[in-house]
Order: sequence, then structure tokens, then C-alpha cells
Amino acid sequence: MVKLTINEQEVEAGRDSTILEAAKSVGIIIPTLCHTKGLEAYGGCRMCLVQIERVPRLQTACTTKVNEGMVVFTETEEINKARRAVLEFLLINHPLDCPVCDKAGECLLQDHVARYGASEGRFAEGKRVHPENVNDPFIVRNMQRCILCARCTRMCGEAQGAYAISVTGRGAHSFVEPFSGDRYNCEYCGNCLTVCPVGAIMSRLHRHSYRPWYVEKEVETVCGFCGVGCTTFLQMRAATIIRTLPKLGTGVNKGLLCVRGRFGYDYVESEGRLKTPMIRVNGVLEPVSWEKALAYITTRLKDIAKRHSPKAIAAIASGMCSNEDNYMLQKLMRFVIGSNNIDSTARLSYAPAKTYIEKIFGTAATANNISDIEKSDGIFTAGGDPTAINPVLGIQIRSAWRRGAKVVVSGQPGGLGNFIDYDLNSVPLHEETVLNTIVIGLAEMKGYTGKNPYIEKKIKALRVPCEPELRATGVLLENMEEAIDDLSRLKNPVVVVGPALLQSGIPSKNLFLVAAIAYLIDARVYLLSKKPNYRGLIDMGCVPDSIPGGLPVRPGQIKLKKGVTLTVPSDKGMNLFEMIEGALDGSLKALYVMGENPVFNLPDREKTEKALKALELLVVQDIFMTETTRHAHVVIPASAWSEKDGTMTNLGGRIQFLRKGAAVSTGRSEWRVIADIAKALGMNETYSDSKEVWEEITQISVLHSASEYEEIKGVGLMWPYGSVQFQGGAEDFEVEGLEILPEVPGRKTSEGCVVPGNKLYLLPERSLFHSGSTTRKSKAILSVSPEPYLAINTVEAGRLGLCNDDTVWVKTARGAAVVTVKIVMDCPEGVVMLSNTFEKVNFNALVGYAVDPVLKCMVLTDNEAHIEKL
Amino acid sequence: MKNVILRNIENPNSHRIEEYIKAGGYFAIEHAVNEMTPRDIIDDIKKSGLRGRGGAGFLTGTKWQFASLDPKFPKYIVCNADEGEPGTFKDRVILERNPHQLIEGMVIAAYALQSIRGYIYVRAEYPHVEKILNEAIKEAYDKGFLGNDIMSKHFRFNLSVHRGAGAYICGEETALINSLEGRRGEPRIKPPFPVNAGAWAKPTIVNNVETFANIPYIIETSPKAYSFLGTKDSPGTKLFCVSGAVNNPGVYELPLGTPLREIIYEHCGGIRGGRALKGVIPGGLSTSILTPDKIDCPMDFANLSKHGSMLGSGAIIVLDDTTCIVKIYERAMRFFEHESCGKCTPCREGTGWMRTILGRIEDGMADMEDLATLEDAALNVAGKTFCPLGEGAAHVLLSAMKHYRGEFEYHVKYKKCEVTDPSQRWGHLSMGELD
Amino acid sequence: MDTMRCAADTPAPLGAAKDGASESAMLKDKIKVLKKLYPHARSVLLPALYAAQQLYGWLSEDALEEVSRLTGVSPAEVKGVVTFYSLFKTRPLGRNVIYLCTNVACLIMGADTLEDFLHNTYSLSNGETTADGRFSLVIMECIGACDKAPAMLVNDDCHFNISMDNIREILDNYK
Ligand SMILES: Cc1cc2nc3c(=O)[nH]c(=O)nc-3n(C[C@H](O)[C@H](O)[C@H](O)COP(=O)(O)O)c2cc1C
Ligand code: SF4
Ligand code: FES
Repeated sequence: MVKLTINEQEVEAGRDSTILEAAKSVGIIIPTLCHTKGLEAYGGCRMCLVQIERVPRLQTACTTKVNEGMVVFTETEEINKARRAVLEFLLINHPLDCPVCDKAGECLLQDHVARYGASEGRFAEGKRVHPENVNDPFIVRNMQRCILCARCTRMCGEAQGAYAISVTGRGAHSFVEPFSGDRYNCEYCGNCLTVCPVGAIMSRLHRHSYRPWYVEKEVETVCGFCGVGCTTFLQMRAATIIRTLPKLGTGVNKGLLCVRGRFGYDYVESEGRLKTPMIRVNGVLEPVSWEKALAYITTRLKDIAKRHSPKAIAAIASGMCSNEDNYMLQKLMRFVIGSNNIDSTARLSYAPAKTYIEKIFGTAATANNISDIEKSDGIFTAGGDPTAINPVLGIQIRSAWRRGAKVVVSGQPGGLGNFIDYDLNSVPLHEETVLNTIVIGLAEMKGYTGKNPYIEKKIKALRVPCEPELRATGVLLENMEEAIDDLSRLKNPVVVVGPALLQSGIPSKNLFLVAAIAYLIDARVYLLSKKPNYRGLIDMGCVPDSIPGGLPVRPGQIKLKKGVTLTVPSDKGMNLFEMIEGALDGSLKALYVMGENPVFNLPDREKTEKALKALELLVVQDIFMTETTRHAHVVIPASAWSEKDGTMTNLGGRIQFLRKGAAVSTGRSEWRVIADIAKALGMNETYSDSKEVWEEITQISVLHSASEYEEIKGVGLMWPYGSVQFQGGAEDFEVEGLEILPEVPGRKTSEGCVVPGNKLYLLPERSLFHSGSTTRKSKAILSVSPEPYLAINTVEAGRLGLCNDDTVWVKTARGAAVVTVKIVMDCPEGVVMLSNTFEKVNFNALVGYAVDPVLKCMVLTDNEAHIEKL
Repeated sequence: MKNVILRNIENPNSHRIEEYIKAGGYFAIEHAVNEMTPRDIIDDIKKSGLRGRGGAGFLTGTKWQFASLDPKFPKYIVCNADEGEPGTFKDRVILERNPHQLIEGMVIAAYALQSIRGYIYVRAEYPHVEKILNEAIKEAYDKGFLGNDIMSKHFRFNLSVHRGAGAYICGEETALINSLEGRRGEPRIKPPFPVNAGAWAKPTIVNNVETFANIPYIIETSPKAYSFLGTKDSPGTKLFCVSGAVNNPGVYELPLGTPLREIIYEHCGGIRGGRALKGVIPGGLSTSILTPDKIDCPMDFANLSKHGSMLGSGAIIVLDDTTCIVKIYERAMRFFEHESCGKCTPCREGTGWMRTILGRIEDGMADMEDLATLEDAALNVAGKTFCPLGEGAAHVLLSAMKHYRGEFEYHVKYKKCEVTDPSQRWGHLSMGELD
Repeated sequence: MDTMRCAADTPAPLGAAKDGASESAMLKDKIKVLKKLYPHARSVLLPALYAAQQLYGWLSEDALEEVSRLTGVSPAEVKGVVTFYSLFKTRPLGRNVIYLCTNVACLIMGADTLEDFLHNTYSLSNGETTADGRFSLVIMECIGACDKAPAMLVNDDCHFNISMDNIREILDNYK
């Protein structure tokens, strides 16, 4: 600490702090323009000039570090003259078009001019002209207003790592531009919008439609697009969201957002929102009253439970819904109807991966602060591009790399492309060999600690891949060796596991190998989660084999509160795949689907549809009509993410508040509807708001027992929520012998080497722009990514004689589709990719799946593709 | 007069390594590597009192010491051959005619700092120099003065040329480093100084061509011998490059402290056509103009700053009485406007504004209020910019306005130039008539 | 009149038949070699741009994108860098580029009359190219030849002590 004087006030400040920070700590505000939280000091605008005793010239407070005994003045006549001069210089080229500028009212330049006085208009020459560019779907650029503080370009580069815009030109002729000079074609995180202090870079979505002072209501909530759980502020007027904004330095995202979080919110207001409950009569869904719909559901459920058994009823929970919603669905199934048949699409990869990793390392293993990734010195990622699945987490990896962390990627690097040291992307189906090689290499370098004899035994049993196998991976051995070397030296490593790791090959073996890497280098593990509340729904017991709080299902009584107990059903619950099978073989009769679209989100669409058609009762609670509601007997309008209160748990285990903005539709919160049904079926408890649901959760869940509702405020509540963490640990680690893993049924093994170009595999494209059912209803998002396409790399395209925008048939054993071609750089050889977003053509309709016997997760089958030019 | 930097310059093949060695070249590096420790070298440079020849006149030995005390590895040696200061062409002579002396100086620096990598940042406006340097570097590699095992002493130093691309600001050392790293050549915040975090965030010394060219002499003779040249405050010789209205413009190696009068009237043969002296820009366009009464000023660091100017790069631009000051400073301001990197507000916006007002004055379209605005704008730039470029632009204008106020006012009042018939200006005469 | 001629580095003439694929390969190889000169790959940007400029004659958007791919520097940043420096050719220029210094020392010696001459004779202003594509004019800041002012570069050749008497003769050598 050093002592200095600012405006005759004694100030103590850290040795490394700047005058600006020191002054701020005692409430002295020094005006700035180019300085902004989270970005390195720049010193360009010269607004923050201050006077330091015994220093001849004025100095910039944002760049000058404090010194012992320094005497600083921040408001003298000389300083004010200098600041007025800076403003005068800036206004030389700044149009005075505040009446038509959306920034007016929250413009820093305007504020500073108001404070220091306007110049007298001595500038007689013409202003620089630069036509406003409105050709981009999201961003309006008005370079006449630009004051060249470079906040946007620094944000885009330093923080986001996108480097999509740059100051071009020199001196007074410079301005900010994307490469094209026109559309941005970038990641569209919009973080440049957050930092522009004037109206030079503005959002197009609310252009000329509001003034900052129109905002009637601002709520702090979490973004509902992925498992990172970024803090975002909804600004509303009447029932309309005017915009969503992050706040610099706030939340796990520290003020960054991605394209979905910033621009995708308009799906909430899309025309297709469901407004009333509907019941299918003579094959047609017809609007009915809430009472009638709920009465119908209860009668049918009662009837089916009686005629068959509670086991014939199942539910699918939702990663889009709050903890309270999911808890209530679980309660309805388990404790009211009496069936353990509850699962969700987290089953496809996230849930099995989480269970498996926690069995090896204990429950703490997957609960980690997302913002810690940045501080790590090395990151190993496998199974998908973090910058597309969980964009703001991906940014953390880029940022770590820029700070010198080693980044090793197995699988598609995607948006990490320029931020990696080792790209170990292999030919499809050979990931296993690469991972295996790394594990063996690390075991040799690091040795065994004996901490977990089970996993060590399995590592020792691994077979060293032979030369031809290594060659077939397409990854240079030398590269792998160097990566192993670097990985073995890490002090604070992170392992990131994405869904693609579990989609092909032998998922359980792949996951074991990645877990072994994490074990050997002692890394923290992060599981990518496409949906915002996968982790929460698992904690809420929406899996067949554990109850709220994560304890395994043990039939018997559990205590809810004094004198009230709940009964855990004794039958083994069905998982998602078993539900489909069950519906087909007639053992399942009723299915309650909350906020999920299984027809669309599960591979082998034909099978799912057949299964749903066979049901006696299909209830779907959703905000839109979907591929699944097409088969529903009852449809109930739900409330969207911005319309309800509750909590969500992000992929790292942080519980955060979801807060209600204003409701666009008349849909009701899922938990309320379900509670009404449960009540009609005999539940005693009543709840007046979501807080009371949360309180019940804390009574029943050992995990949440010590968490106070009030503590969730602010940055949320981090795992283990004040409770004692309970260890899974060694005795729970019973994974069938990996060496003798049975062949996954339905998967065609590759004999020997897959020579690139010989076979093409169709894999899902996980796009930054889309997260499925919601983004495809967002006009804004559709404006940048309107259409499905088949992604293919240059080599394969060349081989097949394809060019961009060619129309082709994609044919698999399961079906065929017509789609246009897009040549992309980072699609690996031997692979074509199709997204699972659009109604017209979707990936899942073209492939099949099998179930991994150990993990009970899904593995893709029948995805060998043939491409024919139309 | 002793030639330190331009020794052997009469030899038409002075740029070839054999000729350089014949004239005693590469002796210093042998001496250094065989008989001196890196510390000895730094101490000698410090004792010599050598000051940087790039403009700021910082003590070279001190700079090297700072870098050598920083434990980070590796360290980089960068030669600033951007020579962008208008009026300056002294480094060009070294680069064209004596490249090995520069290379030898850099290798000695590398040995002193245990650096393994060096770059010569050459301005793009010297296309031929890159080739000369590349040839010289190749010769030095072939003779074992560069490479991975220099003079079989396990001392490693590799050197290459990095070509600039037309930006004066890249002569500023931190902008130069940005440019070397493949970025826009905007200056960086100091501290950290390059000696601690320069190129690729590693300790880096940036020295001018002429500075490096002084090193071999200091090592092969002695710091003491070196400090006999020049003055106490400014030891050594200096390359003065004289241009403008003198009979014999060119580069002159003279001891620091040589009076301006001697340079102009003895070495350069006086003012062309016997005209009267109007003023001298003593150290490149970014240094303040001297009026004829300062003609006896000794050309060294201390004396020039005493007279409100600077030694700068030693580029002397001589103006005679046919020159219009307003026109000169309008052109100068155009230069500063063109070369302003745009990072900071006052320089980016102020240089252009000042230039337009100057333009109006020159064109006879201005009034007295414009003159006041011009002065105030310059005052608002001075002392408030990020780097010395904008600062210099404002300063040189302010001093010209101070010393030649009458001429500015004449322009405003009479809407024309006070200077005699413009057709008498040199440029309008053909060269033949001059002799 | 003094001239210093410099042989190499003259760009391939515009419009000459080119084999795009082999050029790309050449550029790739060249940049690969250049990268070895720097501790970090991105620092190769300036030399890489020169290499592309020499190969293609000027730096089109396509060339910038290619350089971006080969250096790993984002296209926007490449553009930011290219436009910062005044000597990268972001437009096709004439067969011969006249770089005329008009800074103070040259101005004193009449560079402005040479500028007028070029304007009157070839209708050339700063940044423009003659209709026949023979000359382009780039007005320069100091090119470090002030003792032999006025001075200019034509392509890579330096010409000194230019006057109204000899400028035509000099330029006649450039077709
Ligand atoms: C705007 C500006 C331009 C400069 N241009 C040059 C230059 O062209 N050549 C040079 O050697 N130094 C130049 N300098 C000085 C350098 O920043 C630096 O001080 C010098 O290279 C240090 O070398 P020295 O200590 O050997 O003089 C310039 C400085 C500024 C502020
Ligand atoms: S004074 Fe400012 S704008 Fe001018 S060159 Fe320096 S940093 Fe750039
Ligand atoms: S001013 Fe023209 S060469 Fe220097």
C-alpha cells in the first residue's frame, strides 16, 4: 500500500493501482472516455488529465500508477481547460445529431460536455463525413460519431478474442471497421455495443424505437440460452423487452454476452407463442379453458395409473426450465404418482458424463467456477467447440491462452482455432487412439499417486496403440508428444468435456480416457452444457436413479418436514431411451413433457414419433407448437424464461436467480401448473410463490439444505451451497471393465484405418448462433443464420466437386435431405456436418442411435453419409 | 578532423566486409569477446558518456544497463533505422556506406546484453538499403560475426532486417516495436519501458543507427579517448545533415559542440546566392526554429535546449530570406497531420485543425481571430498528447509564431506573403543558374 | 541529376497471366520461411504483406484474406495494419509509381513546381493514376535525400536534384 494525497485528501491505494482507481476508491470521479473496466489502460482520449505536484505536464490518471507521497489534483482551472480542449477537439468531427441518436441520454460525450461546457464553435472547417452503415443485421455503425477511443476494438480483441473489427486508416482518417467494411460477419457477441461510449456502434434491433429514458423496468436475471448462466439485465417497457444488456464486471460473465444472449431474446415475443391450453379432439387440437385442460390431464393420469400402474407414466423434464419447475415435475412423478420414470435430454450426454466423473472424483469434481478458467495455466478440451456450445466459457479459454496458458484440443477446435497450442483433431472414430496415447504418455511422465487405485488399475490395463493405429488418427505423433509434455507440467489445469466426446466411438471409453487425463494432471473438470439448467434438473432429481440433492434412489420414506414424509417408489425408473422403447412395447402409456421437444432433439426421429403416437396420453407443456406437440393430446402454454421467477444452476454448480420481467403471453409458470395437477392428484402442500418451492427443496435435498434463498442474490450461490459436500468416491466407482467393453449395438466398427475421404460421417453442427427450439424463433438470430447448410471442408468438397451454395442430397441409412453446401475451414476430413436447428432439414431425422451400455448415454449410428450433387 | 562514424568513407567499396576489416573493422568485437565481460562493455559505454543519436539523447550505457538488469530472457536488440524525421539523411549514409560498423555495434551490444536476436528496422523509403544490409548481414554470417557460434565462442546472435511501410511514428521506439510485432504502429504506454518489456514483452533496447555505429570505436579505443571528442555534456562526433539554402548541403561528421555558424558558413559554404539567413531548424522538423541571432549556438544537447530547441537528429534545415515561414509551417503541419497515428485526441484532431487554419492564412483567407484560435489550439495540444509527435507539432508552430509573428500577421492583414517576389525562390530557377 | 537504381523487387506487371494456385503455394512457402525470423507467428505480418504485394502487384481484399489465413492474424486486423502504413498498395497502381517528396527541404527547393508539372503534363494528382496506366503519383513525406533535393523515387529507383529541366527526361525512361 502507498499513501498519496488527492485533492488534499489522504488516500491509501495498492502499489499497482492507477491514480484513477485510487481516486475512485475515495469517491473522486475523474472523467474518462477511453478507459473502461476490464480492458487494459489505453491513454488515448486524454480526458482524464490530472496535475501531479512537481511533474511539469498534466498526466493521464488512467495510466499513471500511484507513488508514495504523490500529490494529485483532479479539478483545477488548468485541468478543466485541458478537458474542455479535449472535448472541443472531439466535437470538431462529431456531428451534433443528438436528437436522432439513440445514445442521447446515456452518451458519455454528452455528459462530459454538459459538465465541462461546450466549446464556442471556433471550428470553421467542414466535418468529416462518413455514411451510416445499416447493412448489418445487428449492428449500425455511424463512424461520424466515433471518437476513436478504441474501446470496441479492444473489447473485440482483448476480451472477446474475435478480432473482428479494427481501427483502419491512420490519424484523423481512421475509423472502426470489420474486414468487409460493411457487414460484420463476426461472432456477433455485441460486446462492442456495451462499451461504445457514444452512438457510433449501436444495436439495430431497437434502432430509433426507444430512448434510454423510456426504460420502465430493469431486472437482473440470468441468460436462458446455455449452461454458463450469464448475468444480464432485461430492460422493459410495458410488456416488451427493449434490450438485454450485460453490465461490465458483473456476473460469471463479467459483462460479456454472446450473440444468443444479447440478440436472441425476441423469440419470447414471436407470434407463435401459445396462448391457451388445447386438447386434441378428433385429431385436432382445440382451445379449452385452463380448468378443463387440467381436469382432463388429472382424470387421464388417474385412469392410466389405475388401469396399468404408476410405472406406465413417465415425464421428461427440461433444461430450459427453472429448478422449481423441474423439482415440481419430479415431485409429481415420484412422490405423487409414484413413478421413478423421469429423465431429460441431459441423458444424451451431460447427465451420464456428470455422474461418471463424480463417481470417480467425488461430487465436487464438476462444480467449478467458470471465471477461474481464465486463471488456469493449461486447458485440455475434448468433444466440441466451447465457444459455440458455451460461448462465454469459450472466451475464458481464449483469454487464458492469451495470458500464456497452453491449450490442447482434441476434436474440432472451432472458435478456439487461433488460440491453441496443439490441435489434436483426429479422423472420425479415432479420437480414442489419441486420448489413449495421451493417457499412457501422461502416466509415464507423471507416475501414479495411488490416490485412486481403481482408476490407476484401469490406466495400467490400457493397451499402447500400435504404429498403424497412430498413423490412422491423422494426428502427428510428435504433436501428441509435445502436448503430453506440456500437459504434464501444468500446475492449475482445466479439462473441458463437450458432448461430441460421447457421441461416437465407445463413449464410456472416451470419457474414461478424458477422466484419466484429468486424474493424472489433477485438473478441474468442466462439462459443457447446451441448455441452461441441465445441472439444476439433475440436482432436482429429474433422473431415474436419484432423488433431489443427488442421493441414489432408495425405496422408502424421506422426511419433508415435521410429521410429513414422502415415499420414494421402489421400481427402477425408465431413462429417456427406455421411455421410447416402453412406449413402443406398450409398457409406457402416458408421458408428460415439460419444455422439451424429444421428436426434434433425439436422433432417429421416426422411432420417437412412432413411440409417441402409441401413447394413450401425451401432455406437452411448451411456449411454442413444436414437432412434439403435433402428437400431443394436451398442450399447455408455458411461460418463457423472461416471464418467471425461480433459480437456475449453471454448469459449474452456481445457483442464480431467474427474475420475472413482464409476461408477453398468458402462459403460466410450469411449476404452478404441475402443482395444480399434483394437488388434484392428492398432494397436500400449497405454494404461493417460487420461493416457497425453493424452501421445500432445501428441506428435502441434502445438497441444498444449508442454502438460504437470500444468499442467492448477487453473484449467486456456489456449490456446495454451505452444506457438507458428500463424497461419492471409490466405493461408488463401479464401471464395467473397460478392456472388455461390449461392442455398442448398431455401430459399425471401422476395420483398421478409416482413410480420410473413403467414408463420410454426418455429425451434428453445434452452431454459435443456434441453440435449437428457441433461437429458431428469433427473427434477429435468423437474420444472420437463416438456413440449414451442410458444412464440409475444402478437401472433401474438392473431392466431391462441390462449391459453396451447391445444392446436394445427403443420404444416410435413415433418410435423405436436400441442403446447400457451405465450405468451412475447421470441419475435419471425413466429416460433414448439419445443424439440428431448422424445421426444414434437421440432423436428427437422418441418423440413428444406440445406447452405451456403461454410461447409458446415446451414441450415433447410421451416420455414414453419401453426398450427391443435385 | 577525426572520422569515427564515416571512417573509410572515401573507399568506394566501404560497404564490403573485406574493406571494412582492412580498415580495422570487426577488431572491436574480437577485443570485446576475447578480453571483456559483458559488464565491462556496459561500464565502458557508460563511461564514454555516449548519448543516443535518435533524437532524445538518452545515455546509451544507462539504457543498456537497465536492460541487462532485467532477468527476463531472451533480450532483443533493435536498431532504429526508420530515419523519418524530415531533413534527416545521416543514417542513410551509414546504412549505405558503412553497414558493417552498424552490425559490429549491434553484435557488441548483443554480447553485452547476452541477447540472441536482433532486428534492423529500416524505413520503406530506403528500398535499396534493405538489400545492402541483407548482403552485409550475409557477409557477416559467412565470416562468423553473426550466427549460432560467433567466433567459436558459443555466443549466439542472429540478425535480420525488418522493413517498415511508411509511417513516421514508427521511429518512436514503442511504435516501432508494435510495428515489428506486426501491429499498427501506435506508441505504447510507458512504463513499462522497452528495456523491461519491449518486443514480445521481453527486455529490448532500441538504438539509433548512428548510436550503434559509435560503439566499435569506443570499444577499440577507450571511453576516455572517445570523450575527448565533443563536449563534456555531449561527447563524441555527430553526423550533421544539412539541407536547404546552403551551397554545399550534405552529411558532415563533426564533434558535438561545433558552432552552427561554422557548420553553415565553413563546412557548407554559406547561404546560396549569398542571401540572408532567415532561420535554422537545427534538429529536424520537430525541433523549434532558431532565429539568425542564434547562429553561434554550439550544436550539442545542452546548448540547443538552452536556446529553446533540440539537437534532435542533427538535421539542419537552413532557410534563407526567400522562404515563407507560413508556407513552411503549413507544410510541416501537413506532415504532422499525415503522420499522426490517431491514437490520442489532441494530436489526431488538433494537427488537422491547425493545418487548415494555416492553410487559410497562407491563402489569405484568415483574420486575426484565426491567428488567436491557431495559437490556442496549439496550446491545447502542447503538453497533452500521448507521445512527442503531437507535442512537437504544437511546439514548433508556437515557436515559429513567436519568432516570426510579423510574417503571420502580414499574411492575415495583406492577404499575401511578405517575402519578396516568390518567383525568386530557388525552386523556380533551374539548377544550372545556381552555379 | 543523380540516379540510384535498384534492380530487384519490382512487382510483376499487372494483368500478366498468372496461375493462382501456384502463386498461393509460393506465398505460403515464402511466409513459412519468413515466420522463422520472429518468435511469434503473427509478427510475420508486415513481411508477409510485402511478399503478397510483390507477388500480386497490390494488396486486394483477396490477398489480405490470404495473408490472414497464412499468418493467423484476423482479416480485420490485417486490414487495420495495412491501412495504417502509407506504402502498402491497397489499390492497383500504374506500371510506374512516382513517389515525390514535397517535405520542407524539397519544398524549399521547388518540389511544389514539380507537383504542378506532373499535374499539368500527366494530369496526375496525389494518389491518382494516368489513364494509360503508365504512372501513379504518391506524394511523400521526407524520403531522406534532403541534400539532393528535390528528390523522388520511381518504383525502387532514387532520383535526386530533380528540376523542371530533367524531370521529363527521367520519366521518359519509364514506359
Ligand atoms: C515521433 C518520433 C519519431 C522518432 N523517429 C526516430 C527515428 O526516425 N529514428 C531514430 O533513431 N529515433 C527516432 N525517435 C526516437 C526513438 O523513440 C528513440 O528514442 C531512439 O530510437 C532511441 O535510440 P537512441 O537512444 O540511440 O537515440 C523518434 C521519436 C519520436 C517521438
Ligand atoms: S501524439 Fe497521439 S496521435 Fe499523435 S502520434 Fe503520438 S500518440 Fe499518436
Ligand atoms: S524533405 Fe525531401 S528528402 Fe527530405
